[in-house]
Amino acid sequence: MINTIAYGLTIGGILYIISIGLSLTFGTMRIVNFAHGLIYAIGAYFVVTLLPVARDNFILGAVLAVLAVVPISYIIERFVVRKLYGVSIDYAIIATYAVVLIGVDVIKWIWGASPIPLSDPVGMDVAFLGITLPLYRLIIIALAVVIFIALSIFFKKTMVGKIVVASLEDKDAVRSLGINVDKYFAYIFIIGSCLAALGGVLYAPITSVHPYMGSMVLLISFAVVLVGGLGNIKGTFVAAFALGMVMSVTGRLWGPAAETMVFVVMGIVLIFKPIEV
Amino acid sequence: MKTDHKLMSLFKTGPGRSIFDVAVIAAGFLVLLPILGINRTTDFMIFCVFVLGFNLLYGFMGRLSFGHMLYLGTGAYAITLFSEHVSQNPLLAVLAGILAGALIGVILGPIIVRTTGACFALINLAFDQVGYFLVLVAFSKYTGGEDGMSAYFSKMGFLDFGQKPVMFGFALFCLLLTFYVLKKFTSSPYGVLIKSIKENETRVKFLGYNTFTYKWITFIISTSIAAFAGALSILNYGYVTPSFIDPSRAVEVIFAALIGGSGSLYGAIIGGVLYMAISNYLASYISRWEMFLGIALLICVFRFRSGIWGFVADKLKLRAAA
Repeated sequence: MINTIAYGLTIGGILYIISIGLSLTFGTMRIVNFAHGLIYAIGAYFVVTLLPVARDNFILGAVLAVLAVVPISYIIERFVVRKLYGVSIDYAIIATYAVVLIGVDVIKWIWGASPIPLSDPVGMDVAFLGITLPLYRLIIIALAVVIFIALSIFFKKTMVGKIVVASLEDKDAVRSLGINVDKYFAYIFIIGSCLAALGGVLYAPITSVHPYMGSMVLLISFAVVLVGGLGNIKGTFVAAFALGMVMSVTGRLWGPAAETMVFVVMGIVLIFKPIEV
Repeated sequence: MKTDHKLMSLFKTGPGRSIFDVAVIAAGFLVLLPILGINRTTDFMIFCVFVLGFNLLYGFMGRLSFGHMLYLGTGAYAITLFSEHVSQNPLLAVLAGILAGALIGVILGPIIVRTTGACFALINLAFDQVGYFLVLVAFSKYTGGEDGMSAYFSKMGFLDFGQKPVMFGFALFCLLLTFYVLKKFTSSPYGVLIKSIKENETRVKFLGYNTFTYKWITFIISTSIAAFAGALSILNYGYVTPSFIDPSRAVEVIFAALIGGSGSLYGAIIGGVLYMAISNYLASYISRWEMFLGIALLICVFRFRSGIWGFVADKLKLRAAA
């Protein structure tokens, strides 16, 4: 029982780290960013490649992998996403999906299509209330909470954060104050992408690294974003952990249904609360 | 000059136009027949039926479904299960496939059509994911799970669908029928109405129309046509696998509709043929064909939004004006 809860919290933590970027791009720019899942996969591949460079120091490897994603996400933002502001949302979906097709093919080109396993970087277990848990999972949960607090402070206290929160409310009003909103959207896009890459880095030791690893996670993240509300920072946090629990409880009762159950929950939420985009 | 005028009027409206369109498409596929071979041409035509169904929703009503494979798969599994448990009559089985597609449209429609934009795309995707799971895991006892299952159909006089020319003829007939029905449908006042919903739904509501019903009916027609295409594929292959309902294949039909030119029936057919040609032939020449597809999609979105048919139609209009 406690094991199931702990597993749900781990999944929830990773889902939160991935979804928050998606939620912010969705909420501010009204763009459904399929490339988010690609960035997640690229983060995982980078950590696999950079671990030998970092002399098997996982923290250093993770930091390098997340930083290495910055130029890639900048390129995607500058040459694809920025051209889609204010255009019909369908084109944004199709264009970012095209980026995924290209990116997955590049991954297969560079790293090959076969899955790469990665071992648990901590490798220690903690005894807790009579059960043993891998310490690594507890670190993930703690990290998700830290990121949530850090982002809350960022949005409340810093100028960039305040501008983004204001743009979530009314983009045109912010623009009319003479603020170059697009510039701040680019920052948010890159921060979101870095968090997606961090999610990929953290999840890589739990599953294996393969070119299509991003697609299922992306769909579940969309469910988190839609359940939590577009661009709703607190809602995303709650929804991520709630859906993480849904996944782990369903997974315990009937393994293969875990991911499908998330979509059932999302469908039910959308029936009662349709979102106008 | 006078005959020229008559010819132009034939191109514009009236029953002559429809007959002319149907004849052009039939001739086009008969030309493709010796080039591609009978198996591929049949495949191409069935895919075009699917694109026509998708395009009604995307091109005409402006609702992008990212899970249209669900409806194709519904038709595919319905025809297989029908032939297994009820009757092996091929025509009845195809009808059962279409009805299954209509039924799923009736059931899911009220939930799906209330949403727009990204929400519409993602909720379709979510339902497709659920359907994929049901077929692959939950009902694997009946559907054969990952292995799929065979479908057997009996002969009906000269209609023996095991024979390739018969299948080709039937697929061509079905494509032309779908095209003709959609042509009538989209050029009727109803068609104008769904195009208006694409442009500005609030104003259509303001004019006193209950847009929900119209969207629902269009959705049902679209799912029925997709299921029709699924049923035809099974009639052709005689074998169903979960790949017919796989959500990750949803992009195929989107790409086909976009490259041909969304919002036009001709565009859907051109896009369907072109996509099938790319995925059939390019894959054997270029190993990085997914990358090629991605780049082509980006070019479509940024530079070539009206698609090939839109481009050709513009050129023709310019010439007619001059």
